[in-house]
Amino acid sequence: MKFISRVTAAIAIVTFTTATLPAQSTDKTITATLPKIVKIFGAGGVKNLHAYGSGFLVSPEGHIATVWSHVLDTNSDDVTVVLADGRRFEAQILGAEPQLDLAVLKLNAEGLELPYFDLDKQVGTASAGTRIRGFSNMFKVATGDEPVSVLHGVIAAKTKLTARRGAFEVPYDGPVYVVDAITNNPGAGGGVITSRDGKLLGMIGKELRNSKNNTWINYAIPVPELTETIRQIISGDFTPRENKPGDDNPNRYNPLDFGLVLVPDVLFRTPAYVDTLVLGSPAAKAGLKPEDLVLFVNDELVHSCRMLKSELGHLEAGDTLRLIVRRGSKLVTVEMQVVGKEKQ
Amino acid sequence: MSLAIAGLSSPLHAADEDLESAEERAFKQAAALVDPSVVRIQTVGGLDRVGKILTGTGPTTGVVVSSDGYIISSSFNFISKPASILVDLPDGRQFIAKVIASDRSKMLTLLKVDVKGLTPADPADMKSVKVGQWSIALGRTYDKTFPSISVGIIGALGRIWGKAIQTDAKVSPVNYGGPLVNIEGKVLGVLVPLSTRGATEAAGVEWYDSGIGFAIPMQDIYTSLDRLKTGKDLKPGLLGVTLKGRGLLAGAPIVDRVRVGSPAAEAGLKPGDVFTEVDGKPVRRQAEMRHVLGRKYAGEKVTFVAKRGNETIKGEIQLVDVLVAYESGFLGVLPARPAAGENNPAGVQVRHVYEDSPAAAAGLKKRDRIVKFGDKDVTDAKTLTDLVSRIRPKQKTTLVYVRDGASKTVDITLASLPNTVPGELLPTAIPPAAESDDEDKPKTGRFTETMPAHEHSYWAYVPEGYNPSHRHGLMVWLHPGGDTMEAAMIKQWKAICEQRGLILLAPKAEKIAGWSDSEAEFVKDAIEDIKKKYAIDDSRVFLHTFGDAGNFTFKLAFKYRELFRGVAAVSAPLRTAPQENSPEFRMQFHMVCGDKDSLYRNVQQSVAGLKTRKYPVSFTTVKGRDRKYPPAVQVQEIARWADALDRI
Repeated sequence: MKFISRVTAAIAIVTFTTATLPAQSTDKTITATLPKIVKIFGAGGVKNLHAYGSGFLVSPEGHIATVWSHVLDTNSDDVTVVLADGRRFEAQILGAEPQLDLAVLKLNAEGLELPYFDLDKQVGTASAGTRIRGFSNMFKVATGDEPVSVLHGVIAAKTKLTARRGAFEVPYDGPVYVVDAITNNPGAGGGVITSRDGKLLGMIGKELRNSKNNTWINYAIPVPELTETIRQIISGDFTPRENKPGDDNPNRYNPLDFGLVLVPDVLFRTPAYVDTLVLGSPAAKAGLKPEDLVLFVNDELVHSCRMLKSELGHLEAGDTLRLIVRRGSKLVTVEMQVVGKEKQ
Repeated sequence: MSLAIAGLSSPLHAADEDLESAEERAFKQAAALVDPSVVRIQTVGGLDRVGKILTGTGPTTGVVVSSDGYIISSSFNFISKPASILVDLPDGRQFIAKVIASDRSKMLTLLKVDVKGLTPADPADMKSVKVGQWSIALGRTYDKTFPSISVGIIGALGRIWGKAIQTDAKVSPVNYGGPLVNIEGKVLGVLVPLSTRGATEAAGVEWYDSGIGFAIPMQDIYTSLDRLKTGKDLKPGLLGVTLKGRGLLAGAPIVDRVRVGSPAAEAGLKPGDVFTEVDGKPVRRQAEMRHVLGRKYAGEKVTFVAKRGNETIKGEIQLVDVLVAYESGFLGVLPARPAAGENNPAGVQVRHVYEDSPAAAAGLKKRDRIVKFGDKDVTDAKTLTDLVSRIRPKQKTTLVYVRDGASKTVDITLASLPNTVPGELLPTAIPPAAESDDEDKPKTGRFTETMPAHEHSYWAYVPEGYNPSHRHGLMVWLHPGGDTMEAAMIKQWKAICEQRGLILLAPKAEKIAGWSDSEAEFVKDAIEDIKKKYAIDDSRVFLHTFGDAGNFTFKLAFKYRELFRGVAAVSAPLRTAPQENSPEFRMQFHMVCGDKDSLYRNVQQSVAGLKTRKYPVSFTTVKGRDRKYPPAVQVQEIARWADALDRI
């Protein structure tokens, strides 16, 4: 009973919102969205790479946002765009931002009046549980004058792919929508997810494997993360961000710098047990003991000796190194200052 | 007011939309309601690879089942056997978790953290759960602050032999161990990978995100929780019968074999009995029976009703977790092999007494005649073998034998079949057959034959001194891929065949490159063909192989268990687990391998595997040899092993 009344309340609120802000039904959303999604054909075909992708119109003149991928890695003349109604255009790449996995194309035609997503008015945000529709030309199912395929599902989570170092090999480090529909298929990159009432939520990313649990992940980059760059590319005042310095494993510090001697690293995933401590070292002073198991380095879980070394390698002078270790069945936290190596 | 306005513009769309929005809100509210019971689990250390699966390091998910710190999760999350397990509570606190016990039938693992005041999951009442209702799969792997959500409907109930709810929500390592909740936020079950085709922790992972996901009902978890809390693993309960016919479409549950010493045997079940009721539920087909038993754990009791002819049998069986492998007893004699047609007196004449055997201890000697075993009369070697095979080692019985016309009764304590080949074993001489001008006289020596019904042929060697009134041993040689080894085999075995009364049959694979499973029938027909033409001793029919034909050979041996009494394999490990040992089908093994062979360790493992299943198996290492057919010394040993296949 309690629950039913809650639903009734929810319906009442929604109804009220409907009356003030005319949202559209799912039917209308699909009808309105499909003409804004395009099919892109470019390079590929070698090493089983697909030569097709998806994109979405962001201006009536024919600007298209899509994912930056090998499909575009060609002379711009070679990129062909087919609209939902079958019209076919050559397109050129106006600009790309690899850090966002984003590229913007422009159709080689003048005087077009195409349906498009208004990046000022038609963009929304969503949270876990929000129902979504996915639009893309996955597996090149749509040919010629057909619109692309539509999927449905919910937002599973809004999260950062790079929250856990090493799980994903992507340059993009902002938040993403993870969805429970199987959206990320060959050719789906550059498609969109929308809310049920037609708000543009995200651009479907490339196919991506989660190296932490060995599953494929379905995600979209929230459009608000992209809008500024899209506008800059269209207006022509865009300079790509510089590549961040490669920080895969800078190896700035190692365990011995803190006086930590770990057990021999014999397995792929040897737990990071402390073997001995160098007398008078920072770690010894901080109260670490032999047989402590290091679990966290600055709140990052370390699964193994290897990961511990990698995490220490990322430290910089002046940082505080906080270790949480398991001693027996207790968790013990210790802190120490990271000092410049030349001073040691 | 607002309803009326919406109704005016587009009544249908507005109603749809209201429902869709209300549902969306309900999904989120349901997740929020369960949120305090959903924990994040992380692991440290452990294996990076289990079988073909790369293990993940998580994080994974668990569900709180008691306020004092018990958490249930999917066993899949711990296949890497981590050194340490950490639990993050939704409020951010972190604890070390201990593994308490696992449910090895439903693939769940119970953890304990040292904290009080947790919020246990509120189970849905399974009576109200129906196919088609919303089901929301939650995990806590992406985000600490709020569970990840996947929405689907309940696709089926009582799946995987009555164990699981099926959902089309996306289930994967992202939410294994997490709850499946209904739209009211009550927990339907805990998400796990499951499969009808396997019973390991990882079986069913291949279906991740496919729309085929499973959850163990929360109510069932609460029912067995107290037992798990005691720290003992729950295991699937076993009965100890095999049913007639295989596969999911098999018909009535008719008992085919009853495992000796199993709970079913103790309950008095016999082959041919038909189960009609198990645990108070009618079972008309095997699948129904598996559905009832699939939910049962070892140690639990089930009642049964079965039909034996017109008779109805009722009883109760306590299920067990392990069926003890059957081991046949050993008396320690080789029976003499009387010629056919001779007016043999009843009983079994002793050809040879094994040293240090029960028979030797009881004072039996060569040429004694065993006439009674236990309270059963012994008519021939076959009956004696059968009687002894059904008694286990260390069991006591009595035996009556006749020596010089006087009969004597002795006590016997049976032993295990020795895993050694006698260093010396005199052959039983076969007198040459009387001269005959018969045109139909069966062929002797080496010859080739083509089977009428099959495309391919076999070659064979029958001793020149073949005498149809004496039964011969039969060695079926299965050649390795690429080489029939005909000349080499004749060279090594011709004299042995003559000496020990052995016929060599060598079917040829259709493609010389190797055997395919479909050729099993052909090999069987070739054996039948030989058995039709020659006097063969059924107790001495065995397979002999070398190298890559091993896999086919072992499969064949277990496919036609009634046909073969042994396998002598050189450089050939078992690729699949052997079937259980059974007194009905005696089977002995002799394995030979060079210690420089890359398969040496695999062969050693096969020997160990056969031993755990209580098969008699002898093993010979050829020093300094790689993958080659062994020299004469080891071949002579195989011959002695084969000549003692009828040992009792």
